[in-house]
Amino acid sequence: MKTEGFLFTGWAAFFAIVDVVYWYTSHDPTGTTALALTVGLAFLVGFFLFVTGRRTGLRPEDRPDADISEGAGEYGFFPSNSWWPLFLAASSAIAALGVVFAWWLLLVGLMLVLISACGFILEYYRGVHTPR
Amino acid sequence: MATATTLGKSHAHGSFTRPSLVSVGTIVWLSSELMFFAALFAIYFTIRSVNPVWPMPVRGPGTPPVKLETAFDGAITIVLVLSSVTCQLGVFAAEERRLRRSGSIFRVSSWGLREWYILTLIMGAIFVSGQCYEYTRYVTDYHEGLNGMTISSSAYGSIFYLATGFHAMHVTGGLIAFVFLMLRLSKGRFTPEKVTSAVVVSYYWHFVDVVWIGLFSTIFLIK
Repeated sequence: MKTEGFLFTGWAAFFAIVDVVYWYTSHDPTGTTALALTVGLAFLVGFFLFVTGRRTGLRPEDRPDADISEGAGEYGFFPSNSWWPLFLAASSAIAALGVVFAWWLLLVGLMLVLISACGFILEYYRGVHTPR
Repeated sequence: MATATTLGKSHAHGSFTRPSLVSVGTIVWLSSELMFFAALFAIYFTIRSVNPVWPMPVRGPGTPPVKLETAFDGAITIVLVLSSVTCQLGVFAAEERRLRRSGSIFRVSSWGLREWYILTLIMGAIFVSGQCYEYTRYVTDYHEGLNGMTISSSAYGSIFYLATGFHAMHVTGGLIAFVFLMLRLSKGRFTPEKVTSAVVVSYYWHFVDVVWIGLFSTIFLIK
């Protein structure tokens, strides 16, 4: 994953140079701060890719001699369908409206957020899915 | 593609041939969170650049500036930084597949993921409680006519509570994430998928810790 790593750390270096030039030409603290943290944004991803790349070794897509079939296998866990994100979004909306209109509504909303977050996160750990 | 029934058997999360989608997604999300905090830092430095007297006077020009509880906040900052260490020790335990402690609770070297994460949770809770206590000090000081502040007392108070408050909300979110992780760990076997969850929660915790080091130095140390 060196290519991706260099891509993102390259961006970090680019933004670092831009940040210095920006500060000396404008003396604007707002943009300088935003650019400085953009360096962090690019560096965080680049650093993660380098460290993970060293741990996982070369993937099939990193090797020119790899076969298509080597990329087969499980990519991760993809739930088939879930109603919980809908409830979570609706309860978040109620909580947000509570901030605008009445504090008691915020409490009701937060309770609903807690219930739907539990449902969302623990969906595949209960009922027929209970792991053994 | 894995389906719901193969969750416990999934090997993709512990795979060494490609990075886990969950951790890549977490890192990309955290990098966008960094830009969220970039906005708050930018507000702070902008307000600072247009105010010649810093920290800003509490009650108009000529009055003394707000009295920050630097020593107290430094103490809870140390607790938060150390909680990152205990969190990482939990990750090391998880990677060695140690969920529970194997000896007495006083034999720290035998601790598993659960013990380390509960300790991290307690330390994070100490940080948030300390911050709440600090807020009450500033607000009561202000209302008693002393050098405190409220969110609407000045631009300084607004950005102080916005920045530290959004960070405290992130810490609280992390504490909730620890609780949800504990609930999941209590169900079924300790699968690679759960190790990944523990690792990404630790990524988030380290991120919140690093952001706080930045905020603490900006607000409390740089004069």
